[in-house]
Amino acid sequence: MFGNTRIISGLVMVVSAVAALYVAWLLNPSYLPPAVSDFLYSNLGERPFAPAPPTMDMAKLQPEEVCPERRPQWREAQTIDGVEMQASPLCHPDNPYEVAAFVKGTNNVSPGTLMQTQLTPDAVVKGRDLDGDGDPDEIHIRLEVAELNGHSPDAPVEVPGYAIAPGVRPGFWVFVPKYRGMATENLITFKAQPGLRMPSVPIRVEQGDEVKITLENTHYLPHTIHLHGVDHPYQDANGEGNDGVPRVSEMPVMPGDARTYDIKPRQTGTMFYHCHVQPQAHILMGLNSLFIVEENRPNNFVQTLNVGAGHVRHSSVGVRERYGREYDMHYQDVDYDMHNIIQSSNDPRVISERIHRSFNITQRKPEAFVLNGHSFPYTIRDSMIVVKENERIKMRVLNGGAVSLALHTHGHKVTATHLDGIARPPAQQIIRDVVHFGPAQRADLELEAKNDGLHSYGPGIWVMHDHHEQGTTTNGINMGGHISAIVYEQFLGESGIPKVVGGLGPLFTPEYFRGEVPIFAGMDPQGLLNTPGQRQTNSTGTLLTVLLAVLLGLFFGALTWLIRSPGSGVTAARKKR
Amino acid sequence: MTIRTIRSAPEVFCLAAGLALIGLAATVSPGLTQEAQTGAAESKTDMRGSHDGGEANAAAKDVDHSKMDHSQHAGHEGHKMVLDDNGMVMNWNDDTPPRDCKNGISEDVEFTVHAGRKYAKPGQSFGFSTNEWNVKPCARVKITLVNEDKIRHQWMMHGLPRYIYPQAMFHLEAAGGQTRSGTFIVPSGDETLLVHCDMAQHMEKGLKAQLKIGAGSGDLPSVPGISAARVQDPQAQRTGGWQIALLLGGLLLGVGIGGGLLGRKSK
Repeated sequence: MFGNTRIISGLVMVVSAVAALYVAWLLNPSYLPPAVSDFLYSNLGERPFAPAPPTMDMAKLQPEEVCPERRPQWREAQTIDGVEMQASPLCHPDNPYEVAAFVKGTNNVSPGTLMQTQLTPDAVVKGRDLDGDGDPDEIHIRLEVAELNGHSPDAPVEVPGYAIAPGVRPGFWVFVPKYRGMATENLITFKAQPGLRMPSVPIRVEQGDEVKITLENTHYLPHTIHLHGVDHPYQDANGEGNDGVPRVSEMPVMPGDARTYDIKPRQTGTMFYHCHVQPQAHILMGLNSLFIVEENRPNNFVQTLNVGAGHVRHSSVGVRERYGREYDMHYQDVDYDMHNIIQSSNDPRVISERIHRSFNITQRKPEAFVLNGHSFPYTIRDSMIVVKENERIKMRVLNGGAVSLALHTHGHKVTATHLDGIARPPAQQIIRDVVHFGPAQRADLELEAKNDGLHSYGPGIWVMHDHHEQGTTTNGINMGGHISAIVYEQFLGESGIPKVVGGLGPLFTPEYFRGEVPIFAGMDPQGLLNTPGQRQTNSTGTLLTVLLAVLLGLFFGALTWLIRSPGSGVTAARKKR
Repeated sequence: MTIRTIRSAPEVFCLAAGLALIGLAATVSPGLTQEAQTGAAESKTDMRGSHDGGEANAAAKDVDHSKMDHSQHAGHEGHKMVLDDNGMVMNWNDDTPPRDCKNGISEDVEFTVHAGRKYAKPGQSFGFSTNEWNVKPCARVKITLVNEDKIRHQWMMHGLPRYIYPQAMFHLEAAGGQTRSGTFIVPSGDETLLVHCDMAQHMEKGLKAQLKIGAGSGDLPSVPGISAARVQDPQAQRTGGWQIALLLGGLLLGVGIGGGLLGRKSK
């Protein structure tokens, strides 16, 4: 009997080993040494055909509306309280009542107009006409600081919510006009009211105006305003700091506090303003925007603020002389590691430590890129350059981010007329199709829709994007980033959406920017480039794997049995003890 | 538990080691009484008035809030509103008791509340001087908001009857350094209504309060000084060795006690 046990276990071991080898070869020849698998091939022939996993159907996506309508009547050219404004055929045009209030002054528009905005009566106060040229020269702007997509101690939601792309909500800090009422649209979605958005609001004043900018710090961290490139004295008339640099010209404005900056800019140009407290964090979190000083002209009521940047519906006299339309274009980049710090805790002390001390900007890597506060595809709602044939367009471009921008305009070569707000002599104005912007650099670009093969190749939907390829992605997914377009009016469809070939639907889903939607899905009837199924959905593969495991188990089980069987010497030895 | 009932050396070891570890951790740790560690005070919170589900009560079944665009004040018709450089009062009501107040106004009561940085608790940025008010059902309440900061603040209350108060709310807004008052009349049911400042992150960073009508309906979450947050804030410090020591010590203590008790029972 002893002998039998040993023979049986030996036999089982041999059989299971051979069977396991065969099954392993069936499953995947690379499990075996080449010599062994070659031996099996030459004796058994090829293995049976195993089909590749089937193509999966696209998951049921629920795209957002490409253009969720708000107020279609806002698109028309109209005059409100005597303020003329251009038509804005985009999906989301600027609120014309708000534009009227910014042009006339919130203290000067009719109560009815003010009620159609969410501004306070002192948000933009315009006073006396000091030089008698027909327009006010005393301007008092009040700015607040708003956080977007911050932490909520009650629910895992970002409050107030603001998306730069479907499902993409990094945290931001922005300078906003002084609004009244609720910061959220309602208490169910926690979505920010439309005026609380990226980018910080561009400011426009006239050369020679006496401008006061009051920063009312409604945020939980200290901030200042620094006017980059704008003529301003280091100290105001009262000897108080006016340059916005903490511990140099002044101490920062603490939460709950307010400070007024006084300027009377003598020079024109497209300039820049930003917070100078811990600028490596605050500027990049969004506290930066355009500051434009327009030429002093008679009857030049300037649109003091341009919420959301983009199309300037009421341009200055100087700009209207030469240009059909004017667009403010503000580019920024976003590193989630920094921007999401504000969502990681509710304690301002902890947020401050993490964003100012723990986060290391030298390790910064942006994953998202925005133009006027949105990434593609949201850029098509409010940040496209709409143009008609033979029109001349002014683009004021600012790089408010940390990485450089290589702006490329399809179908057009643009002329850089001003660099950092200073006019270039015409002979020194460069025409090119990739304009490079370092951080904080600005350029005024002139786009002529003259169909001469140089300035323009003719009408179309001409994509406009960063030629640093990362700038065309969001979370590494293209199309994303700050892609936008120069669109000729005849290519604008219903609701201001460009008439592109092929639907944009899949791009309006959070799944797309999580990388879950195959890029070419739905382009061919068989879906040959859709997602493949799981590797082992076929039952044969599963069966074989289980069988292999069982055989291996059997082998080792038999081995153990062999070692421990009576007469093997082991149990006998134990018994003797 | 007497020494006789402890059966074996391992139990003694567990008890002793557990106590020693806990004692050591307690002396070494930065502080065992941090607010972040204490559990929620409330256990019977009514969802009404809270953000995630409760606003279903105040939320429109007739008006689709998700499409309501406040910047244009859609549905603004019917709002009573005073707006000037010193602030704003919206939806005040000093003469129309809600339908369920069969005996009219029960009492007149006045409160003054201060808002500002000065009233912030540690871990916050702004605060109200009081975070809870109690009124009788059908009371007429005059609230005066004194804003001690240089920025604006609000005292906004939600959950009032929609047929009197558009969007179910009463809103008081005071510019920096200003004082504003307004009056409203509460309904008769026992309810706790949300009061907050709806500026970006002001409620989250301290400007949250509650008004209880009658017996109220429990506490709302994350009301400063009254209830804990629903979303636990991660510890500021990393997990220290002392926390692990605490855990281990507790574990050993538990084992020792359990072993001792079981030992006693078997006798």
